[in-house]
Amino acid sequence: MPANTASPDTFLLIKAGRLIDGVSDKVIPNGAVLAKDNKIVAAGPASSVQAPEGASVEVLDYPGKTLMPGMVDCHTHHNGFGDGRPGDSLADIPDEILALQSARNARASLFTGVTTIRENGPKAYTMLRLRDAVNAGITQAPRTVLCGWPVSIIGGHMWFFGGQVTGENEIRGMVRRLIKDGADYIKVTATGGTTATSYPLLPSFNVDELTALTRTAHDLGKLTAAHCSSETGITNALDAGIDMIIHCMFRQPDGTNRFSEKIAERIAKQGAYVNPTLHVQRSTPWALEEKKRDRSLTKQEQQKLDHMWQSYEWSMEDSRRMVGMGLKIITGSDSSWTDYKLGNAVYEVEQLVDIGFTNMNAVKSVTLDAARALNMDKLVGSLEPGKEADMIIVDGDPSKDVKTLWNVNEVFLAGKRVERGSDGSRAVFHQSPP
Amino acid sequence: MPANFKLITADRFIDGTGKQPIEKAAVLVENDVIRAVGPASSVKAPDGAQVEKIDYKGATLLPGLVDCHVHMNGIGDGRPGDELVKLPDEILTLQSARNARAHLYNGVTTLRDCGGKNRTIFHLREAVRMGITPAPRMVVAGRPMAIVGGHLNWFGIAATGRDECIAAVRQLVKEGADFIKITATGGSTGTSIRTKPSFNPDELKAIIDEAHKFGRHTVAHCVSTQGMINVLDAGVDTIVHAIHQEAGGEFKYRPDITERIAKQGVFVNPTLSIVKKNMDNIEAKVDAGTATRAEQASLDESKIAFEAMVNGFQRMRKGGVTIVCGSDTAWLDSPMGRFQQEIEAEVDAGMTPMEAIVSATRDSAKSLWMEDSIGTVETGKKADLVVIKGDPSKNIKNIWSVEDVFLAGHRVDRGNFV
Repeated sequence: MPANTASPDTFLLIKAGRLIDGVSDKVIPNGAVLAKDNKIVAAGPASSVQAPEGASVEVLDYPGKTLMPGMVDCHTHHNGFGDGRPGDSLADIPDEILALQSARNARASLFTGVTTIRENGPKAYTMLRLRDAVNAGITQAPRTVLCGWPVSIIGGHMWFFGGQVTGENEIRGMVRRLIKDGADYIKVTATGGTTATSYPLLPSFNVDELTALTRTAHDLGKLTAAHCSSETGITNALDAGIDMIIHCMFRQPDGTNRFSEKIAERIAKQGAYVNPTLHVQRSTPWALEEKKRDRSLTKQEQQKLDHMWQSYEWSMEDSRRMVGMGLKIITGSDSSWTDYKLGNAVYEVEQLVDIGFTNMNAVKSVTLDAARALNMDKLVGSLEPGKEADMIIVDGDPSKDVKTLWNVNEVFLAGKRVERGSDGSRAVFHQSPP
Repeated sequence: MPANFKLITADRFIDGTGKQPIEKAAVLVENDVIRAVGPASSVKAPDGAQVEKIDYKGATLLPGLVDCHVHMNGIGDGRPGDELVKLPDEILTLQSARNARAHLYNGVTTLRDCGGKNRTIFHLREAVRMGITPAPRMVVAGRPMAIVGGHLNWFGIAATGRDECIAAVRQLVKEGADFIKITATGGSTGTSIRTKPSFNPDELKAIIDEAHKFGRHTVAHCVSTQGMINVLDAGVDTIVHAIHQEAGGEFKYRPDITERIAKQGVFVNPTLSIVKKNMDNIEAKVDAGTATRAEQASLDESKIAFEAMVNGFQRMRKGGVTIVCGSDTAWLDSPMGRFQQEIEAEVDAGMTPMEAIVSATRDSAKSLWMEDSIGTVETGKKADLVVIKGDPSKNIKNIWSVEDVFLAGHRVDRGNFV
C-alpha cells in the first residue's frame, strides 16, 4: 500500500532541482509542488510555493532531480506476460491467475512511474476485480481506466476475452452491460489482429454496428477506442465517430501498405487521437534477433522476422507523416502484449522522439496529452492546483532526453509516496535491442 | 547447475528437535538442501567450492516455521466467513497471494491451507509455480468437505452420503489437493450447529478411507465432543480446535478421548490464539461500550470456551498427545503474517519456549506428513531456515523478530511486493 507520508492535516511540500509541470514548455529550475491529502495545492518556482503560515509541513527535497507528473500509459494489457505467448493461449489461463498476473503487472507499472493506465484488453472481469481489490486495500496499482473487456465480432480479435457480439442490438446491450459493470470507456476491435481466427487486414464490424457502439457509449458519457490494423478499419471507425484509433495501420487487404493523406486529414479533422503502438511492433523482431544470436532461425521464423521488420518500418514512416501533419499522437505502450513487458512504457516514449517529437512533446504525450485523450485531464496529467497529486521524481532532465524517464527515483500517487519495496521489488525486465 | 553453497553462521542454533541450542553454530547449504549442521568449527564446505558466507550476529538460526492451519482467503478484519465468501474468486485469490507473502516474509516457510473458496487456492499455487507471486511451501486442501449447510459449505462442497463424499475427495485429488479437510461439527457458519456433529460416521469413514487410498492425510474441524469421537472412529489424522463441548452445551473434559487421540497417534491443533484474540477484541468493545448485544452475550460463553480449550490443551499434553501449531489466520480478526501469536499462546498455556518451537516446526511438519523433508535443520533436509534476533528459547517474544528467511536455500527478498 502507498505509505502515508503525512497525517491528514499535514501539507506535503516537494522540492526538486527542476519542475516539469506538464503544461508549460519551459522547465522551471528549483521548482516545488505543495500537496494536501490527495490534491495539488500549488506548483511553480520553489520561492513562490509555500504552505499557509503555521501549517504543519512535511518537506521532501530532491536537488538535481526532476519533479514531473506521473506518467499516463493509454494502452496496456495487464493480463499479459510479454513472453511472446499469443493472446489465444493467454485466455486459456484461469481468471484468478490472470488477476494475480495483473496485480504483478500493475506494480511494475506503478513502480516505474506510471500512475494512470488505460487497459485495452483483459479477460472477463479480471481487471474490474483487480480495481475492487485495490479499493479494498489488498493490492496496489496505478489509477485504472478500464474497458471491462474488448468488444469483438465472432472470432474477431480478442474474442476470447468475452465480448463477442453481432448486430446493432447486441452491441448496444454489450456496451450497456460493460458500463454497468464498471467500464470507463469502450474498446472495440475494428479489424482482426494477432488472434488466430481473425483477419488483421480486413475490417471486422460493419459501420452500422460500430456506429451503434460509439453512440451508445457517447450517450452514456464514455469514450471509445478502436483497434485498427488495416485501412478499412480506420475509415469504418471514423465513419462511426470513434475517439481514438489504435495502431492506425494503413495496410491493404493484399498485405501492402499505402499511407493515405486523405484519411490522415480526416482523422485530424474529426479530432480523433492516434495511438501508434510502435515499440510493440519491434519487440517481437527484437526477440527473434536475440534468438538468432543463439541459433539459426527456421525458414518460417526468418520470414516472420523479415515481414515484421518491414511492417514496423511502414508503421514508423506513416507515424512520422502523421506527426508532420499535426495529428494528436499519444503514448500507449500496448504492453504486456507479444514480447513487450509492462514496466517499460519508456520504450514507446522513445519511439515518439524517433518519429519526430521533441523530447518535451514526448514527455507531454505520456502525461497531459495522454490524460486529455482519456478525458482525464481535469484530474491528472499535469501539476496544477486542484489536480490529483500524482508525481514522479526522475534522475536527469526528460525535457532534454526522454531516456532519463527510465530513472524513476520516487513515485507519488494521490499525494502518497508509493512504497516500492526492495531492489528486487522494483526490478523490471528490460528487453535489449539487437 | 554448478554447486551453490551457502555457509550460514549465527550466535546460536536451534534444530527443531528439542535439543538444547548449540552456540556458535553453522549450517552448510548446497542449492536447496542442508549438507551439514553443527558447531561452526566443524562445518566446512568442500575444498575449492564456491561458498557464500553469511553470518548473523546476536541471532538464532531455526528451522523455517510451519503453520499447520491457515485460511489464505481470509482478510482478518473480523468479517465472518459467511460474508467473506461473497467476495469474487479473483479478489479472494489476490488476497490469498498477499497472505502467502505476509506469512513467508514473517518466517513461515511451510503452511497448510485448510480451505478456501472454489479453486482459488489451487489457482494461487499454479500462479506460484508460474513465478507470478512468491509463497511458502503450500500444503493445500482446496475446498473443505462439509455437509449441506455445514461449516464452510459455501466454499464449494456440500456432500451427502458415501458416494458424494467419495466423489468429492476424488475431485479434490484431481484438482491437486494434498490433504482433505473435513468440518466434522458445525462452526461459525450461520447455518451450521457448533455443538452437533455434521457428517455421519459412515460418511466420515468413506472420506478418510478414500483420502488415505491416495496417500492424502485428513484434518477434521471439531468444536464439540461427538465430532471428535466420530473422526477418531473413522481414523482421522489431525483434529483441529478439539473443544470438549457436549451436545447440550456443557464444557466437559473427556480423558477417554485424550487416551484415544494419544493411542491413535492423532495430532491436535488447538488454535488458541485466534479464539483468545477474538475474545479480547469483544471484551475491549464491551469495555468501550461499542459491543453489539450479540457480542455482549457471546463474551461469557467465549471465556468459558477458552478456559476449556486451555484446560484441554494442558491435559491432552499430559496425556501424551502431540500438539501441533496452527494459527487459523486469517480467520475472524487475525490477519496472516502473525503465526507467532499461536506460538506465544502455546507458551502462555504452559509449554516452554523450546516446546512451542518444536510444536511450530518439527511436530507441525509431522502432521503434514512432511517430516522427512522439512521441520528440522538436519543434514539432507530442505534448507528452509529462519533467522531470529535474540534467543527465542529464552524469551518466546523474540520469535517475532525475524531477520531473514531462507526457502529451499534461497534467501527470501522480504521487501519484494511482487
